Parts: sequence; structure tokens; C-alpha cells
Amino acid sequence: MVGYYIEYIVGVFMEVKFNNKFEEKLVRGTLWVQKLLFYRVIQRTLLLIFPFALFGSFVKIVQTVIIGKEGFLTDIFPSLNNDFIYRQIDNIATGLYNLTLGWVSVIAIFGAAKYTAKYYQRDDQFAGITGVSCYLIVDYSYSKVMPFSFHPQILGIRGLLFAIVLGIFIGWLFKKLSRPNPRLEETSRGPASSVIERAFISLKPIIISLILAIIFSILINITYYSEAPGNFINSLATEYTSRNNWSQLGKTLIFSIYTIVMSFLGWSGTYSALGVEKMDVLSTVNLNYALNKHTAWNAPNPFTSSTLYHAFATFGGTGSILGLIIAILIISKDKDFQTVARWAMFPSLFNIGSGVMTGIPIFFNVIFFIPFILAPIADMLMAAVAIQLHLMPPSVYPVPIGTPGPLIAFIGTNGSWQALGFSIVAIVISVYIYIPFVKMAAKVKILDNLSLRKEGED
Amino acid sequence: MHTRSLRKNRNFKYLVAMLIFFILLGIPSYIWTKRNVTTLAGRYNSPMSPIILIPGSSASANRFDNLVKTINTNYGEHHSLLKLTVHTDNKITYTGSIRAGDTRPFIVVGFSNNNDGYTNIKKQAAWFNIAFNQLKARYRFNNFNAFGHSNGGLIWTIFLEDYFDDATITMNQLLTVGTPYNFEEKSTSNHTQMLNDLIKKKDKIPSSLTYSSIAGTKLYFDDGIVPLGSVDAGKYIYEGNIKHYTLITLTGDKAEHSDMISSNQFITIFHQYIVGNRVDPNSPDSKQSAIAQQ
Repeated sequence: MVGYYIEYIVGVFMEVKFNNKFEEKLVRGTLWVQKLLFYRVIQRTLLLIFPFALFGSFVKIVQTVIIGKEGFLTDIFPSLNNDFIYRQIDNIATGLYNLTLGWVSVIAIFGAAKYTAKYYQRDDQFAGITGVSCYLIVDYSYSKVMPFSFHPQILGIRGLLFAIVLGIFIGWLFKKLSRPNPRLEETSRGPASSVIERAFISLKPIIISLILAIIFSILINITYYSEAPGNFINSLATEYTSRNNWSQLGKTLIFSIYTIVMSFLGWSGTYSALGVEKMDVLSTVNLNYALNKHTAWNAPNPFTSSTLYHAFATFGGTGSILGLIIAILIISKDKDFQTVARWAMFPSLFNIGSGVMTGIPIFFNVIFFIPFILAPIADMLMAAVAIQLHLMPPSVYPVPIGTPGPLIAFIGTNGSWQALGFSIVAIVISVYIYIPFVKMAAKVKILDNLSLRKEGED
Repeated sequence: MHTRSLRKNRNFKYLVAMLIFFILLGIPSYIWTKRNVTTLAGRYNSPMSPIILIPGSSASANRFDNLVKTINTNYGEHHSLLKLTVHTDNKITYTGSIRAGDTRPFIVVGFSNNNDGYTNIKKQAAWFNIAFNQLKARYRFNNFNAFGHSNGGLIWTIFLEDYFDDATITMNQLLTVGTPYNFEEKSTSNHTQMLNDLIKKKDKIPSSLTYSSIAGTKLYFDDGIVPLGSVDAGKYIYEGNIKHYTLITLTGDKAEHSDMISSNQFITIFHQYIVGNRVDPNSPDSKQSAIAQQ
């Protein structure tokens, strides 16, 4: 038996060859990170929320693209107007969305608390449920208008990081404040007395977690503080304007990187992947110019968030996810990656990337962090060069929410074929950037499974 | 060689499907964008719809600090507050700021010369116009709600008649409190010079406007300063001229001219008419913005 495994391990190491030092370092580093408890918990939690995020992203297509007020299909095919059927669909979609992708953070804290408690061999079910209660307490809105309500902002993807950290903390409280249940395995079938015993073992951490949550909830105004740093950055992004094109370019790049990094951590950044609805001053100046001159060419501010970031860097969602999906479909041999890519492809076409973000997963994934930033930046720089050399006009016209990524520049320039051409170039660039990392991720997976087997052997 | 291996790939059909999808959506979007470019200005739907407030005579731009604070705490909302003061030399100073992404900020426009009197009010309307144009250029909103306290309501009316151009921007709702359309005159039959002037130019007021005028009364006749009849005289300007004109009489505790804006009854009316009222109540606007934020 042991001989077989040694043979297997050697076989795998023969199979995994590194092309260069950098790749080897990155793969080894990732493997090291993946061994951390924090990371293991994140990974399992993300897989737990994946089906909900995927289904939610399909519903979100209906919500924003088909029936949204400024949605892509509502604008292009204006047949569904404000009638009874429309409202029914709207209600159904809202309900489904709010309780799938709209509350993934609640599911996430359940997972995080459960897995952490399980790791420490504590009662994982109680830990998970305590986590859910605590999160909802923290998120509770003390409103006189709506008696039983929560702040929706951090129930969704935005609260993911916070939920996971809080979940791990609750799992850790269970470790500190309760003892392992000797008969954890039997309780489901065992006599009622052992169920009571099980409840009392976990009573202390449950009560303390809930009390800590309510103190936290009362002391801080969670929505305000969760939005405060973003608001500060937002106001910088929209208010500070510069006449110089190059400092404009720098500013757009910086805020794009900030947005991408924040999305990577499950937070939200300055620029939304969906829609260019909140136009900044520079974009409005561009639009007015274009409306007066009837052309987008030579618009006064060529390097704004709408001309670069929204038009070229959000294909498939934040981080040019579409490039990753295509890269996986072309070269990956990994079954899991392929399944996720196929399922998440459709929402991603409308720039809703939550499926891939949780399914691959990309959140907190060391390997994909690099292309996740690199691909959008490369696309933006390519677009900036093309605009500077007058190879294409900047996209200045408003674009409906949920417009498929590669069509944003096309519509935003009022149907410029050059812009469409450069959109295709942008896809190719991001695919090429993602390909080596997809290969690396496959190697990490092989080595990781291997070490898991070894652990199992021990 | 490379293409052949790609064709053998089991995912080839997914890539083709993706391509077909883009072509299928790309063609109608091309036709649509070509057709729509002329009306794009109209399609530009500004997310921001501010509430612009003008204080009464002898009050500064800080007059509504408490009002905004009360609205924010009572209704659990986070409206930002921007205050402008227009100086006599037409220069404008700003305090406070509008939080990015705030679709319903409060903007207060005060004047360094905030004296009473018809000639002064006309000057203030001209100053307000300067501030309004700056705000419009700076924040690019295309609709707003308005509130005027006391003479602030007069400034709004003069502004609407003499300066406002409703082709590019819409005023949805106007609410005033104790606005003396006939100054201190108690009887509505004696028209002051100002009232006569305002009635003469009433056709300039946008007909789509909805206006609610609040009059406070103590002992049936006045709010301590402005007579009920003077507020009521606003009907000669607005009634039958705009979409809706409503006169509300507020009595009881804090119905005095200056106290009124801190009365609970007033806060409720204010929130209902000015803050809560969106452009189109049927639009899934609030939901949309919540989605877009994620």
C-alpha cells in the first residue's frame, strides 16, 4: 500500500514540471498559504456559497438586464413595459435574488464558523447557527420604520470578508469556551439526554457570541462604517479632476486597481462592474461634447473610468473574468474548473462574475490575484494607447446596465467598429494573461490533493 | 495544427456559442445605438435628485442643519448636506460636501445679504440663480425638489418666474412654510406690489410642478409673524396654474413661524412630500441602486 503511494507521489512530481523559478515559487507559496486554517476555511466556505451565488447571478441577469429600468435588454428591445406581468417578474426576481446572492454572507458565516469549529473538534452545527444569528444581529437595522429588518448592503457579496473573519472568530470562541463532545457522532441517533448534554456543552460560547454580537451591533453603526472608507475614496474619485490627460490616466488606473483589489477581497471598490450609471464629472463633460459635436472623436477627457475601465477592463465582471473563462475552456483539463466555467459563462457574459469568483474560487486565491489585476490593467493600457494614437474614439455615450462587456465600447462609441475590434483585442490579451495562471492553478491542485492524501495516510 | 486541436476540444461549442451570443446581441445593439444617439441627452438619467432649500430672511445657510439631522436620524437615512452662501459680489462659498453616490443630498443656498424687503428678495432670487447654475453645472442633475422657508418661498417663486428654464431641468415638488405672498397683509383682497408682480408673470411657472404650501396658525389668524391670509394669497399665483397646489394649515405645538420646521408634524410632511417622493414612484429605482452598489 505504502509502496503504491510512493509510486503515485513520484509519478505526480514527475508530471508537475515547473517552467521557471517564478512559477515554482508561486506554486509553492500558494501551497503554503492553502495549508493555513484561515485559507482552508475560506475555500470550503466559498464552495458552500457557490451554488447560491451561481443561481443568484442568473436571477440577477433577469433583474438588471431584462427588467431593470436602465437595463440592456429593456433599452434594446423595449417591449416589456410597466404592466402587471412586469411587476410579477420583478417581485419574483427580487425575492429569489435577495435570498440567494443577496445574503451569501449569512451562508458564508455559517460555513466559516462550522468549519472552524469542526477543525477544533467542537460542535460545528451549533457554531454555524450561532454564526448566522450573530451576523444578523450585527447587521440588524434599528429602524422605527421597518420593525424587523437588516441592512442589505453587507448581507451580499460585499460582507463576505467580514462574515468569514467573524465566522472564524466564533469557531475559535467555541474552541476556547467549550470542550469537544465525546459523543458528537452518536448524538443524532443517541438518546435525548445526550442531545441535552450536547446543547449544554456549547451553551457558553453560544451565549457569549450572541452578547458580543449585540454589543458590537449597538456600538457601531455597521452600514455607515462599512461604507465610510469607500465613500471617502469615491469622493476622491469623482471630485478630483485634472486637466492633464496623463494624470487622469494615472488616477483612473489607481482607482481601478483599488476596485479590483477590493473585489478580490469580497469588498467593493470605486467602480461597479455593472453599469456606468453614476457618471463622474469628466464623463459628463465628454457626453456633452459628443452631443454637441455629434462625434465621440477627440472628446476632451480621453482617459476616464468610462472610457478605459468600464469599456475595456470589466469583461465578464471585475478582473476581466471572461478572459479566465475562455482560458479555462481552451486549455484547462481540470473537470471542476471546466464545469464552473461552463455554468458561470452565461451570467459572466452580462458582467456578473460572482459565479466564477466563488466557484473557482478567485476570492483570496493567491495564484489568480496576479492576472486578476494584470489583465484589466493591460486591457486599459492597450485602450489608452489606442485612444491616444487616434485608432479609436473614447466611449462617451451612456451604456445600459448589464451590457455584455465586449459590446460596451461598441455602444459607448455609438457603434465604432474600431472600438469593437479593440474589444476583441482586449479579450485576447486577457485570455493570454490568464492562460499561464490556469496552468499553474492546475499544478497547485495536483500537489494539494497529493498532500491531502498524505495527511490522510498519516 | 493549432486550430485543429482547438476544434477537437470538447469546449469548442461553448466558445462558438459565446461568439454567436455576442453577434446576436451586437447587431440589435448597433441598430439601437445608431437610432438613439440623437435622443441620448434625454436618455441620460441623472441618478442625483437633490433637495434644494432656501432659508428665510435673517437666517444663514446653517438654518436647516437640525432639520437634516432630524430627518437622517428619524428615518435612518444618510443624506449629505452641502451649504452655499452667495455673497453680494456674486461669489459663492461652499461648506460641507455631497457624498459620492448620494442620490438625494440636501443643498442649502443662503445669502450673506439676507435682509427682508421686496427689492432685497429680488436681489436674492438673482443670487440664487447664480448658485443654481453653478450647482447644475457641477453636479449635473436634471431634476430636483425644492423647499423654502418663509421668504425662501418668495425667492423660489421669483426664481421660477424670472430665471428658471424648464427645458433642461425639472422641478418635481415645491414645499414652503409660512411664505408671505402678500407680506404682512392680512386680507387677501389687498394685493401688495409684489403679489401683483408675481401674479402677472405666473404663466412662466412650469405647469408640471406640484406645490404644497404650509401655513402655521396660532389663534386662527397667523403664526406669530406671517398672517394666514398672506400665505393663502399664494393661490392667486399657483392655483389652476400648476399640476397640484395644496395649502396645509398646521396648528398646535411649535406652529410658530420660526419653530415650525422642528415640529414633528412638519417633519412628517416634509419627508413625505420632499424626501420620500421620487420622480416616478413606480420605478424600481431604490432596488436598482442597491443592486448597482454591489
